[in-house]
Amino acid sequence: MSTLTAPPPGFREALAFEWTKFASLRSTRWTTAAVGLVTMAGAVFVGLSGSLQADDTVLGGSLTLSVVSLMISGVVGALTICGEYASGTVTSTFAAVPRRGRVLATKAVLLAGLLFGLSLASCTVAYLLGSAILEDGRYARGEPMPAVLGIAGLFAVVGVLGLAIGVLVRHSAGAVTTVIAVMLLPSLFGPLFGGAQRWIAGATPTAALEKLTQTSDASPDAVGSLGAWPSLALVAAYTVVLLALAVRRLRRRDA
Amino acid sequence: MIEARELTKRYGDKTAVDRLTFTVRPGLVTGFLGPNGAGKSTTMRMILGLDAPSSGTVTVNKRRYDRLAAPLREVGSLLDAKSVHGGRSVRQHLLGLARSNAIPRSQVDAVLDRVGLSEVANQRAKGLSLGMGQRLGIAAALLGDPEVLILDEPVNGLDTEGIRWIRALLKSLAVQGRTVFLSSHLMSEMELTADRLIVIGRGRLLADTDMREFIETHSQGTTLVRTADSEAERMRQLLERAGGTVRLDARGGWRVAGIPPATIGELAREHHVAVHELTPLFSSLEEIYTTMTRTSVEYRGSTQDTKELIP
Repeated sequence: MSTLTAPPPGFREALAFEWTKFASLRSTRWTTAAVGLVTMAGAVFVGLSGSLQADDTVLGGSLTLSVVSLMISGVVGALTICGEYASGTVTSTFAAVPRRGRVLATKAVLLAGLLFGLSLASCTVAYLLGSAILEDGRYARGEPMPAVLGIAGLFAVVGVLGLAIGVLVRHSAGAVTTVIAVMLLPSLFGPLFGGAQRWIAGATPTAALEKLTQTSDASPDAVGSLGAWPSLALVAAYTVVLLALAVRRLRRRDA
Repeated sequence: MIEARELTKRYGDKTAVDRLTFTVRPGLVTGFLGPNGAGKSTTMRMILGLDAPSSGTVTVNKRRYDRLAAPLREVGSLLDAKSVHGGRSVRQHLLGLARSNAIPRSQVDAVLDRVGLSEVANQRAKGLSLGMGQRLGIAAALLGDPEVLILDEPVNGLDTEGIRWIRALLKSLAVQGRTVFLSSHLMSEMELTADRLIVIGRGRLLADTDMREFIETHSQGTTLVRTADSEAERMRQLLERAGGTVRLDARGGWRVAGIPPATIGELAREHHVAVHELTPLFSSLEEIYTTMTRTSVEYRGSTQDTKELIP
């Protein structure tokens, strides 16, 4: 009887729904903007203060604060679902799109696409700022291509990782804490594990980022001998596993 | 049409909804009545696929909710829990929902206008009053011009004018042939709005019936008899002699139990008493309901629940 006879909605409509929700909140807009701004501000700061170690690269130095941006990306991911639980909008979301796997998939696609584009742009700008400000020839340049694509990919992966953690933990505070713990704790407590440090610290998104940015912090002693790209692949792999767990939980749990 | 078959929801060893079987038909306003904690909201959440039944099934238009191609265009719902993010504007909230189900953008302004929220469309939901929030929920339910409406306590927070408005709205939707299913613990409201009634207590079905029939069946069956003052005492004696129980009614006249109205009329004619009024009195839905659910009020004794039961 409905007078509305448009064809049945699918993935595109669900994606448009997620985008509208994402873009219509001040909090998500600002947090996402911070992902880009922090990285670029870091390049300016490092460039002007010249606070680089002698063996560092221009790329690594310019992207010093990208690790903070990466954490914020994870937090943005977690908040896209935890925010819905906290405000109760999750019931209207599931009433509109009852296929929960689709809800999660559209959120993941939105986060990944947005964070990839945003971090690709901000990291490129940060590198250009860094090379413009830093004294010519004093540091190795590093190889920005294709590393910067990998970095952007890592941001996308971490956004999705945050989303998966958000579904599994459900409460904002808990999810944000977990995301930050995943990023920080292995490098902080890695030394306690002696020989295993390289494995524990080396598997974090932070380690993958350090390797991709070719900073001097990414020594095999600290983050293992796994190369930059395999590290990225490892993070992507466990993100996929967590996302699959999240889909399962979301389907089985009462909204 | 909504059909529940043996619908059951258990939380651990507590059964919130216990083998409910009922059908909600199109063209009528069907009231879903029960004390707080009776399982109304849980039932509605299961209809909408938000909570999974422990056993049994529930379908909307013969399909499980999660199998509907465009759910918002078939079922409009308003749940008791606020499901709007306070930071989002009224219009953006509806726009997102519209996009999710390929509902034309023009519908957003149409429903905002219909519920009287056009002027606050760009305000953030946080600033809305309770009544306005409820209107926004109703706007969201109407967005897809759905055939089935499921509303959990829709009059909560509405003022008298708002309640009158929603009553008229629901009736007009039913007249158009839509299925309207609304829950409430406000029995007086239900009596004025609903055509049919599904009553539950402790998760179990207590009644599934026509509203008028329900009141007649469960009524105590007293009759108000009024005569001229000079004949009142004689009338009382006649009624008592005929086996009736007679009490003075607060509004004047006698309240008679135990004799049907027809017999009272004949008795009066026989003895040449002029009857000024002879009115069969049915118990109000509220009285019946209170009696019915007295045994199934789960947390009896707590003053809060008593208050909610008798608004």
